[in-house]
Amino acid sequence: MTKIGLEIHCQLTKLESKLFCNCKADYRNLAPNSNICPICIGLPGSLPMLNKRAVEKAAMISIALGCKIPEKIGFFRKNYFYPDLPKNFQITQYNAYGPTSIGSEGKIAIEGKEIRIRRIQLEEDPGRLVYEGSSEKTQITLVDYNRAGTPLVEIVTEPDFESPRQVRIFLNILADLVENLGVSDPYLEGAMRVDGNISVEKGNRVEIKNVGSFRDIEKALHFEITRQQSLVERNIPIPAETRHWDEARKITVSSRSKEEEEDYRYLPEADIPIIQISANAVSVLQRTMPESIVAKKERYIKKYGIPPQVAEVLSSDKFYSELFEKAHNEKNAKEAANIITTDLMGFADTREKKLELKISAKHLSDLADGIVNNKITRNSGKHALQEMVKTGKSLSEIITALDLGHVSDVSSIEKIVDEVFKEEEKAVLEAKQNPDAVNYIVGKVMRKTKGKVDPSTTLEIIRKKLSS
Amino acid sequence: MNLDISATEYISQVRNGTISAEEFVSKTIDRIHAVENKIHAYITIDEKNALDAAKTIDKKIRAKEKVGACFGMPLSIKDNICTMGLKTTCASKMLEDFIAPYDATVISRLKAEDAIILGKVNLDEFAMGSTTEFSFYGPTKNPWNTQYVPGGSSGGSGASVSALECLISLGSDTGGSVRSPASFCSVVGLKPTYGLVSRYGLVSYANSIEQIGPVAKKVEDIAFILNIIAGRDPHDDTTMEKKNDDYTKDLDAGLSGKKIGIIEQMTGSGIDREVLSATNKAVSKLQDLGAQCIPISLDAVEHSVAAYYTIASAEASSNLSRYDNLRYGFDFGTEGFEFKAYVAKVRSNFGPEVTRRMLLGAFVLSAGYYGKYYLKAQKVRTMIKSQIDEAFKKVDLLLAPTMPILPFKIGEKIDDPLTLYLLDINTIIANLTGIPAISVPFAISSSNLPIGIQLFANSFEEKKLLQAAYSLQQTANLPKVPI
Amino acid sequence: MVENNEIKHLGDLVKVELKEPEKYVKQVEHILNYFERLDKVEFASEEQLRKEVSFDNLREDKHEPFLTDGRLLIEKLKKDQNNFIRAPKMV
Repeated sequence: MTKIGLEIHCQLTKLESKLFCNCKADYRNLAPNSNICPICIGLPGSLPMLNKRAVEKAAMISIALGCKIPEKIGFFRKNYFYPDLPKNFQITQYNAYGPTSIGSEGKIAIEGKEIRIRRIQLEEDPGRLVYEGSSEKTQITLVDYNRAGTPLVEIVTEPDFESPRQVRIFLNILADLVENLGVSDPYLEGAMRVDGNISVEKGNRVEIKNVGSFRDIEKALHFEITRQQSLVERNIPIPAETRHWDEARKITVSSRSKEEEEDYRYLPEADIPIIQISANAVSVLQRTMPESIVAKKERYIKKYGIPPQVAEVLSSDKFYSELFEKAHNEKNAKEAANIITTDLMGFADTREKKLELKISAKHLSDLADGIVNNKITRNSGKHALQEMVKTGKSLSEIITALDLGHVSDVSSIEKIVDEVFKEEEKAVLEAKQNPDAVNYIVGKVMRKTKGKVDPSTTLEIIRKKLSS
Repeated sequence: MNLDISATEYISQVRNGTISAEEFVSKTIDRIHAVENKIHAYITIDEKNALDAAKTIDKKIRAKEKVGACFGMPLSIKDNICTMGLKTTCASKMLEDFIAPYDATVISRLKAEDAIILGKVNLDEFAMGSTTEFSFYGPTKNPWNTQYVPGGSSGGSGASVSALECLISLGSDTGGSVRSPASFCSVVGLKPTYGLVSRYGLVSYANSIEQIGPVAKKVEDIAFILNIIAGRDPHDDTTMEKKNDDYTKDLDAGLSGKKIGIIEQMTGSGIDREVLSATNKAVSKLQDLGAQCIPISLDAVEHSVAAYYTIASAEASSNLSRYDNLRYGFDFGTEGFEFKAYVAKVRSNFGPEVTRRMLLGAFVLSAGYYGKYYLKAQKVRTMIKSQIDEAFKKVDLLLAPTMPILPFKIGEKIDDPLTLYLLDINTIIANLTGIPAISVPFAISSSNLPIGIQLFANSFEEKKLLQAAYSLQQTANLPKVPI
Repeated sequence: MVENNEIKHLGDLVKVELKEPEKYVKQVEHILNYFERLDKVEFASEEQLRKEVSFDNLREDKHEPFLTDGRLLIEKLKKDQNNFIRAPKMV
């Protein structure tokens, strides 16, 4: 029986400033050590100033994961020496002397299985080490503290996962969740880091660290399960240890044998007072925080009759669900959802492409209206959408420019059908015998009109002519 | 020129043109040069900048422009408080070359009021000690007898004020470190309520306990400086908006109707005979002024030293972890070393007292021992506070001698750490509970050594405390410092 | 209670190379024996003295770059020519 637990570190990238000072929270692409101050570099005499919005956003994550939030939260110091840790202690949260971290005892369901969240805590990220030369022959470690003090939320689960696949699904749900809450952009490099611990057949727990991406965690866990099972088969006991994921060789490797468990000598962080979070404050957060993905999905299905599959895809994507909210009305909601999930998502699936999209919510709404009101066929709609995305032009401009107007009057269609009958005599004969072959003729008419004719009307006309 | 004037007298003389800031600062610098080889209070003297600042202030005064409340008075600052552009060494090899890139909040507030920072003064390394003998730069001497300790850890503050090498000093008090030198050097020293004065820029030693505190010749000077440095600072989230309006107002309110509790555990056996007799004399003077003095028992005092050193050592072991010489510190290259070995090597430059406390701190925080020592020590704090709260239901103030013994010779007690720790027994309850306490010079012993009397008030009652201290001060008739 | 090994281990926890660990053994033991009295105290209340503040009263989330004398802080620290901090090799 495989048991897997996770420890996820999620940066609160949507904050303006670091956890304890006014330096920038997003340190990416800045010159080395250009985003530091006496506080985040731990100069003598410096004191931490806790960021209000960080507490709020961490509380929102706790609520979204069904955790309990205590009325009083506190901070602790975790003492150890490392070059990326300017004070040689990390300010974090710790529950050994009572529940004082921002969340505990939560749960989240994935595919019907419940994953329990043991605790959620707020803490600061250390700086970054850059090694000069290969890591074997490194003589010098270079340190950049731009990241030191960036706000992190650590989420620890119980070992409730039974397979790497469940882990992957969970991580995707978690990434969508934090993105939806507006607390983090999980796809930024380094924004979400995962460590796992895994045991098979009631053997010792092995910790896996240093996994770079979500895809890799699944691979690392698979590898680890295989490795552990082969030991079990050979009756070799599995040592309890920490292993790191070797990206290049795609294997886990034992870290330098850990000396006895590090003694972190936790003590309360006396420079930060106890923070009160009243039950009232929590209710206000619950009411004002962004609607959860699950609730959104339910709303799309119940209120607009959007098919569950479409609702699932749409609600999970923050960018597109926000577009939907602005673009839809009572009448065109289903169509708008359809356009987004069937066509638009196909055009722009990455962060960069989404940002480049020139389509506005109004244009999308007009398009959905157009299709619902038969001003334009769905087929033409696809062409129109492509134009919109590229040029940002309005629907009417595009219909005129590309001549995509819906042709639905019978006489025009009859004329075109007659033309096609003349051009495709053989097909017409076949269609008279085999009703299914009619579709080929419909297709020809559609091609001739660049999809502007209404398919069902066209089909009726063709059938009538064939039978006459 | 008479340097032996209070800050209040200085201001009035500068305002009415009797003296200029530049003259006074210049004479103070002359005085420093005259006595420093005997006293050794200063680590850094910022002569040129001080004189330039004084000249600028004089120009403003002559032009009748607005001048800050301090009018160029020269201050010395304990060398564990950050001053931009000047070294802040904490009397340690570990910070030998450290120049702070920012001013402590108290320094910014003082500079905004045109105070002049004359220099940085000596302390026990990282403020850990009671005699200033643990300084990397050697001990400071007591101006009353240079073979004797000046008290500690703010010995440089006490000595520089006492020897007229500055008008006022800022020290820091974690276990009595402002009050002990005040008592031993015959000057006034205040530890404010925890949370009244910002610690931003004070190099941390025991951050749940320490406070910056002023040292001066007169209680009115203490009140004056407190007005400037006290009050909420967003840079220090442990500060509170509890500042009284004006500490200098109604200092002479007197003591009639006030009740003062004499702490039994601090006035019994074990205390020096002459200290006890001075205490009794102080009590009778206060009674003459209309105060009612009754004995008060605080039996939790018995546990206070153990509780204090447990907590202080634990916090010190964590607060001092940052000194690994990688980002700042002293000159020692990293070539050829592996990380852990390098860090352990540079940190072997801490002195023996600091090392001792870090080892103790690591022990009491190590896995398995937290509940036995640290947690218990925190509970002792609450216990002492509730006994004190009970006492303050019966009395307005508490009283005890500041130090249980007279000043002693340099080198006399340095080999037994525990003996030194026990000297803090009278001062420590104020640090553990956060309440304010002040040492007022009251008597000189037959051996010509100073004796100070300590008053305590409840949290944020500095106004009441200073009024009582002022009354006590007015009853003392003390000789001038012999140096 | 405290032996050379223990002192060496404590020295390792706080990363201080002790040239004469034996010197500290006796002193630390003596002081710890004194601390033992804490264990015997009985307490009525579990409360601890800590300041409490509502989370609305915390610092606003704003970016403000730090400059000292108009320059970047790194200029005043032990930096290398590329503005990194150099640390010894990690084993």
